[in-house]
Amino acid sequence: MQVKGPATAADKMDVNQAKQEHLLALKVMRLTKPTLFTNMPVTCEDRDLPGDLFLRLMKDDPSTVKGAETLILGEMLTLPQNFGNIFLGETFSSYISVHNDSSQVVKDILVKADLQTSSQRLNLSASNSAVSELKPECCIDDVIHHEVKEIGTHILVCAVSYTTQTGEKLYFRKFFKFQVLKPLDVKTKFYNAETDEVFLEAQIQNITTSPMFMEKVSLEPSMIYNVTELNNVASGDESGESTFGKMSYLQPLDTRQYLYCLKPKPEFAEKAGVIKGVTVIGKLDIVWKTNLGERGRLQTSQLQRMAPGYGDVRLSLEFIPDTVDLEEPFDITCKITNCSERTMDLLLEMCNTRSVHWCGVSGRQLGKLSPSASLSIPLKLLASVQGLQSISGLRLTDTFLKRTYEYDDIAQVCVVCPYTSPEC
Amino acid sequence: MDSSEGPAQRPVTLDIDGGIETPEASVLPQNDPTEASYQEESIDLDAENFASPPDDSIHSESLMDKLNDQMMESVMISDSPNSEEEDAVAVDSLLGQNDDEEASKTPEGDAEERNEDDSTEHEETSEGLLEEEEQEKIIQADDDKRETTPQQDPNLETPESQDASIEINTVSSPREDPVPVCTIFSQAAQAKTQALVPDGFQPTLVKSPSFTTGSTETPNKLIPQVCQPSPSLSKFFTDNGTVNPASDFFDSFTTSTSFISVSNPNAESLNPPESPQEAVPTSTYFTPVASKPQASPVEASAPMNKLQAVFSSGDDPFASALINSELDKRYDAWLPSDDTRKVLISVATQQISPGQIPKEQLAMPGLKFDNLQGDAVKDLMQRFLGEQAAMKRQVLSANSVEQNFLGLKRLISTKNWRAAVDLTGRLLTAHGQGYGKSGQHTTHTTDSLQLWFVRLSLLMKLSLFQNAELELEPFGDLDHPNLYYEYYPAVYPGRRGSMVPFSMRLLHAELPQYLQKPQETLDRLHRIKSVCQKILSNLQEGLAEDGSMVNLTQENRLASLELWRSRLSRLMYSMANCLLMMKDYVLAVETYRSIIEFEPEQKVQLLSGIGRIFLQIGDIRTAEKYFEDVEKACQSKGKTATEETSVLMNRAFVYLSQNNYADAHTCFSSVLRLDPKNPVANNNAAVCLLYLGRLKESLGQLESLVHKDPALYLHESVLFNLTTMYELESSRSTQKKQALLEAAACREGDSFNIQCLKLV
Repeated sequence: MQVKGPATAADKMDVNQAKQEHLLALKVMRLTKPTLFTNMPVTCEDRDLPGDLFLRLMKDDPSTVKGAETLILGEMLTLPQNFGNIFLGETFSSYISVHNDSSQVVKDILVKADLQTSSQRLNLSASNSAVSELKPECCIDDVIHHEVKEIGTHILVCAVSYTTQTGEKLYFRKFFKFQVLKPLDVKTKFYNAETDEVFLEAQIQNITTSPMFMEKVSLEPSMIYNVTELNNVASGDESGESTFGKMSYLQPLDTRQYLYCLKPKPEFAEKAGVIKGVTVIGKLDIVWKTNLGERGRLQTSQLQRMAPGYGDVRLSLEFIPDTVDLEEPFDITCKITNCSERTMDLLLEMCNTRSVHWCGVSGRQLGKLSPSASLSIPLKLLASVQGLQSISGLRLTDTFLKRTYEYDDIAQVCVVCPYTSPEC
Repeated sequence: MDSSEGPAQRPVTLDIDGGIETPEASVLPQNDPTEASYQEESIDLDAENFASPPDDSIHSESLMDKLNDQMMESVMISDSPNSEEEDAVAVDSLLGQNDDEEASKTPEGDAEERNEDDSTEHEETSEGLLEEEEQEKIIQADDDKRETTPQQDPNLETPESQDASIEINTVSSPREDPVPVCTIFSQAAQAKTQALVPDGFQPTLVKSPSFTTGSTETPNKLIPQVCQPSPSLSKFFTDNGTVNPASDFFDSFTTSTSFISVSNPNAESLNPPESPQEAVPTSTYFTPVASKPQASPVEASAPMNKLQAVFSSGDDPFASALINSELDKRYDAWLPSDDTRKVLISVATQQISPGQIPKEQLAMPGLKFDNLQGDAVKDLMQRFLGEQAAMKRQVLSANSVEQNFLGLKRLISTKNWRAAVDLTGRLLTAHGQGYGKSGQHTTHTTDSLQLWFVRLSLLMKLSLFQNAELELEPFGDLDHPNLYYEYYPAVYPGRRGSMVPFSMRLLHAELPQYLQKPQETLDRLHRIKSVCQKILSNLQEGLAEDGSMVNLTQENRLASLELWRSRLSRLMYSMANCLLMMKDYVLAVETYRSIIEFEPEQKVQLLSGIGRIFLQIGDIRTAEKYFEDVEKACQSKGKTATEETSVLMNRAFVYLSQNNYADAHTCFSSVLRLDPKNPVANNNAAVCLLYLGRLKESLGQLESLVHKDPALYLHESVLFNLTTMYELESSRSTQKKQALLEAAACREGDSFNIQCLKLV
């Protein structure tokens, strides 16, 4: 929306100092995107007092859309009216104009534009060669671009040196200070699945003051993982509709959740046996656009996840049926992994619960298990109660340290009665 | 095991350095409550962490997951990526950015220069600091401004005065305009007025006609033989001596057989008493329908029909009166609220006299501020160009025109809106609704409400929103009983409906959005919408607009349907515009789309407009889809210049959004080949040149346009661009701006927005 404030020279980052009368004048203007002029339609009907006057005034106004004068968003471009805000990841563009205000020809003009950040100084001038002469009323123009990569104070330092006709060498500098702000707030959250999959939820909040079109929010996984984006309604399909609806933009202070599923690549899943400690998941790559395609891009730092601690011994399920018949034995396969740094000698005990009963001998020796090694054991169970039943009651005892690990609520099965459905 | 609660810990090392980390942490929580709550959450989690027993106890995975659930960690955003392969797109789109970066790696300039640099370093830094501070202030000020200014957005209509031609048009065109003469003031009164300046008027000079007309006596007896406001616009053509008796049966024509016409004789002479296609001597509504007097007057009673048979041809004042009554009915139709309806019914059935109605229920407006008079352009000239130059500035003032509708129209068309507001003030004062009269009993007429409408429209055009709000306030929801014709059975016998013009309702609804109350605007627009829809459904069901069982002729019904549909469409525009200002893009786009059904001939403009909305958001892909639809629509329409222009313009905007200013410039230039006078393309091409680093060319182009064709280019937006470039170009921008001021001074009226010259 067009905002017409009292027009001041504030949009020029121009601060003149008149200590010495210089022959050249340096002007700098930040080139944010132009804006579209908006009208204010005031209409009346033919029978109203002004008749067709208002309509004619609107038709004669060059900034209205011809044929649809009541549409406020016109086509007329207006130049940026103030410095505005600049955000990390956006491109700082600026017009630098050096004008010969004097009536004499000036020689050997060198214009340099540097950007001083808190950590470094960058040269932004397109050319570093001097212009041999500048006639009165002529300009040296330069448009500089710089993708802003740091937050905080930036100072644009423009230096002009030149030689007068009398051979005097003159030099002046101007400083333009601006603050780079943070555009987005990103928060992440990991969810661990039963399997080795990890789900990443990323909340991205627009903390600027203008709407933001999110052109791309993707997760670049580290080498351990493959990633699936879960932000389309029809997954897998390129043209699947976004979960955010048709209009993919974020209003100021709006937050949006993105979801990604990460699967360890088979080679890593096998090799590592268990992924533990801090692992690098990857980083989010975010590209957004604002007014008339003003572009910004950011990446998060490497997202790190502390793999869930499984204690010394991890018991996971390799196979389990989802539905079983009442009072009919069924098989499951458990995988026992030694997550500790020492060898274990394990003893398996099975304690019956009210609804599920273990078939087989309790208290059997599983033998020695070295670190990161795992073994699969098939087990047989019998369910005695219908409904969704939880499988509990496995106990592993490390006979070296005399430590017992309890595994309850490992998984759930749905127990059905095969006899009650008459149709079958 | 020592790693059990790993995920709860925040990553310690991040790509970003500490200096950046701290401001983030300190700034964010203030910005946003949800952020704070997230942080709280994570603190809780930490506490839980500490409380939980050491690793010996074995946690099942599900507990893990539960813990994970609560956790949301804040992620530091690193520097934007600059790995080269990835940035391919960026580099493409940013002109020459690669070069810049390369350049930055080359060593600094020559040694001599560096020495100089060093020697002046100390001095310069202190100076620099000063500048810096100043700069910071400026930036802050800008921020403030940005937040506070949206309501001031003065997108005034622009300037080009075509004084002479406009006047002639007004006068000669046989349109349906209310004819621009008002009988409020006689010449004598006008002379007096001028003598009384600045106070203007004696409010006692003129009496409202129907203030004492609560009774149902015939109007003839009631109306005193004084100069008075005419109850209807339609009267001024009436030649006093020759009022047709037939017209006595009809409302607006009839009330004033005793009326002394005091029209400005000049004005009348300017008006062709008869237009070629309009042979009705007494009618002032030159509508197309009026030229077909055969339209059967439904409401006519038997004797009238006989009369009508006598006056068979088009110059039958009777028939035209009937037609006017049809027109009036159609345009004035409105559905009052239940309470208002009850009051109106009891007035109509004489159960209650208007005098008995409590004050609170009536609209009693009055002017809320004195004259706006003043000409900012002149003041500015005095300041920059001296008294001498300022003397040359000649604009019409409220004093220099006829004190009637014609004068008002002249002021409006010459863009002297401030003077026009003053004139409406005088005319309303004469009507007894002047300064300080708010809250006093008053009588409304068609004319007085039209005056209010014009006044409020102009205030809005001048961006004087507060003033407009103040003066609209006594009108409430525009639903007071005394704003309906039924309230004045003596003055407007038989006439029904609202005196408030539909456009004034729109204005009343649109106003709050400019005062930071867009929700109020939407509420009001929706109320109007529901009435429009009810009226349309009444018409479709074969009823009259107000739902009464009156038979309408097919012709009248269709005309009425068309009118109300166009009103609904105009209303939808207001809604969409308001939603767009609220940045509710989803609803705005939806609403604009729905207008296409009402206005199929505006499809190209609307689709292009929607595309531009998407470009504004930054969604270039969707914008392009809409622009494709535009091209399809254009193809189906056949290639005309306007269609081709739209297509090229849209393409240019897409290029612009891709940072491709060169191609955007080419597109705008090709528009100019089709339509060399297209001001938008000319201006936009110049803007592109600036972004291409061609300031002088851009300036030259705009400057020559402004001087060659000031009618088109002395527009706020163009002048703004031009002055911005002047400031960028040289230290002598003030002189150049003054030249623009002079150019504007000899063409523009007092409503010219001087801010775009950036002289103060």
